[in-house]
Amino acid sequence: MRRILAQSRKELTQIVRDWRTLALALALPLVMLLLMSAALSLTVYDLPIIVQDFDGSSASNHFIDVFRASITFHVIAWPVDKPAEAALASNAARAVLIIPPHFGRDQASGVNSPVQLIVDASDANTAKLVSGDALQIANAYNQQIAAPAPVQAAFRLWFNPGLSSKKFYGPGVFVLALSMFPPLLAGLAMARESEQKTILQVYVSSISAHEFLLGKIFAFMVVALGEAVVMSAFLFTYFGLTFAGDPTPVFVATILYTFCVASFGTMIGVKIPNQTAAMQVVALGGFLLVFLLSGLMFPVQNIPIGLRWISNFVWGRYFIEIVRDALLQGGGWPAVWYKVIFIGIIGSIFYLLAWNGMRKMQVKS
Amino acid sequence: MTLTGLFRHLFSYRMRALVKKEFNQIRRDRRLQISLVLPPILQLTLFGFALSSNVSDLRLAVVDDNRTPESRELISTLTESKSFRLAGYYASVDQLGDAVSRGDADAGLVVPYDYARDLARQRPTTVQLLLNATNANTATISRAYAQGVLQSYNVNLRQNGIHLQVQPTVAPNLARRGQIQLQPAFLFNPGLVDSWFIVTGVLGLLLILNSTMVASASMVREREAGTIEQLLMSPASTTEIIVAKIAPLFFLLSLMMLAAIAVLRLVFSVPFRGSLLLLICAGCLCILSGISIGTVIATFSRSAQQAQLTSFFLNPPLASLSGALNPIEAMPKWLQPLTVLNPVHHFAAIVRGTMLKGGGFADVWPNFLGLFLFTLVLVSLSVRRFRKQLS
Repeated sequence: MRRILAQSRKELTQIVRDWRTLALALALPLVMLLLMSAALSLTVYDLPIIVQDFDGSSASNHFIDVFRASITFHVIAWPVDKPAEAALASNAARAVLIIPPHFGRDQASGVNSPVQLIVDASDANTAKLVSGDALQIANAYNQQIAAPAPVQAAFRLWFNPGLSSKKFYGPGVFVLALSMFPPLLAGLAMARESEQKTILQVYVSSISAHEFLLGKIFAFMVVALGEAVVMSAFLFTYFGLTFAGDPTPVFVATILYTFCVASFGTMIGVKIPNQTAAMQVVALGGFLLVFLLSGLMFPVQNIPIGLRWISNFVWGRYFIEIVRDALLQGGGWPAVWYKVIFIGIIGSIFYLLAWNGMRKMQVKS
Repeated sequence: MTLTGLFRHLFSYRMRALVKKEFNQIRRDRRLQISLVLPPILQLTLFGFALSSNVSDLRLAVVDDNRTPESRELISTLTESKSFRLAGYYASVDQLGDAVSRGDADAGLVVPYDYARDLARQRPTTVQLLLNATNANTATISRAYAQGVLQSYNVNLRQNGIHLQVQPTVAPNLARRGQIQLQPAFLFNPGLVDSWFIVTGVLGLLLILNSTMVASASMVREREAGTIEQLLMSPASTTEIIVAKIAPLFFLLSLMMLAAIAVLRLVFSVPFRGSLLLLICAGCLCILSGISIGTVIATFSRSAQQAQLTSFFLNPPLASLSGALNPIEAMPKWLQPLTVLNPVHHFAAIVRGTMLKGGGFADVWPNFLGLFLFTLVLVSLSVRRFRKQLS
């Protein structure tokens, strides 16, 4: 135990001495949390839309006013003689609303009048949001002027009633940052030992592989926990999140997860005794896997089946689900118990692999 | 220096020797070669396949307090649509709520006990739809889908009602105002393929980030090995050294760009509606600015590892403030102006403008100008830094 602590202390001292690593450990996770959560958001406001009104009646004006009042759209002016599609091609507008002639007359005489909405679908997701919002506006307008539809739906949005994407991506990026920076530091530290041959001193010393690895991992767990505390301060203030239910699963999972990522970095450092290469592999595993295959941005079910099975082994996926559950859904232990166990299992596998790589080198006493 | 003089200079023997040396160095560096080919192709494919905002097969939990043919018809209308599928029937709203918070269902439908009676009496009735809104995007889209399904269900109900009762008067139509039927048409991507947006954005990201990485690695190697002094001692001028360093990288990265464009076309069948030449020109500008960023990073670092660490500080803002993966309108207002300073943003706008929308130079010139200015500034900055380092 004393040796483990000494090893951790040495590791932490090394981190504090290099400003680049220190900044990497403390500042970057925060920057990433703030930037990425803003940059991943898909909820659009104030989309420029062009209205071409071929009717010009009071009814059509009334209808356009409803669009003017919506927060999704922002009606912009466009010359009548220029084709509206040109506005989509040059990015001046995202959609065009075309109101046909006789719109007002049709309405007054009880005939259903078609209105066309041309949406720039080069961004398919925004196109879906735009057409969905426009449909909703038209629906509401219909309810107002015509008889109400026989069956209406009352929508209840659970867990995130304001549809804030910050609250969804905040926890995700929190996990992403934790999956990236601590293992990066751990991998660098481990590879540095091999690169500078200080590992040989470890081999000939009396410290065992377990003690050496645990000491290293413990140090980076401390770093990761520190990052987690700082970032969750932002989650609870800037992102406006609170614990939705029982917080104990996420506490246990956070400790297991820091162990998991620290072991991952150390394992890579053991297997790849070159700092630059180790960094690349950690970035690939920590960033790419967690970013793409963990349901951070879009649901895992959308990934084609040929790739989806990989996400079952991505440690970040389980932690993202646990954090989101704790901060938004509040399902507690019944919803996430097996995910906590998976994180523990994956972490132990990383640890065993690292130990296996170390043990081979060590001189038997 | 006259133009012919410049050309003679560029193809001088010394120049050729320097370029050859760079090529040889790249040829011998296995890792650099791999990082030129593998990551771009792999990342492009992964991003394109893995990031899809498609909303389908949401698990719908149902509480049917009515249990009539009418309520079952409503439920099957919803579950037969592509967006929802039945997750199961629950006895009470509490149980349904538990199922949604446990994650066993993504949405819930509650049909009230008087549903069929209200319908028969032609009274408007309300059903409750619960959506797990944790993911705001999925919730918004699925709400729109559910509304669309209900709308067509309503239209059917109305028509059936008229058929069944054979109302003797035509008068009600006059009393009621006509409904607006919004008909959305999706231009440029009628099939709403998600990957087209993602891969066209990731292309620019890849060009810049990869050029940065490769350039900083190759620049810093000279410094690490201490051979930069030998280059200085040689009769080659600093311009020659810089051009000879950049030209082979630029050539190889351009090949990588062509490969990436081929992936876009062959794997993702992204349409090429506009000018390919414009796209390639913009891509070359991107590569140049990437190389320049890499050079600047290299001049600030003493080792390859430091250079790579420094690029970690640069990549997140470059990637996230680009609109490569999400629309810029979705970013906070105060961040939106920053995207103007991002070459990835301009390149993405050009790629989407030409490939997807079939626009020409007239449509994308502001972005082209932005990218050009940016490249110009970066190249001159990097040349200055490099000169300073050499002298």
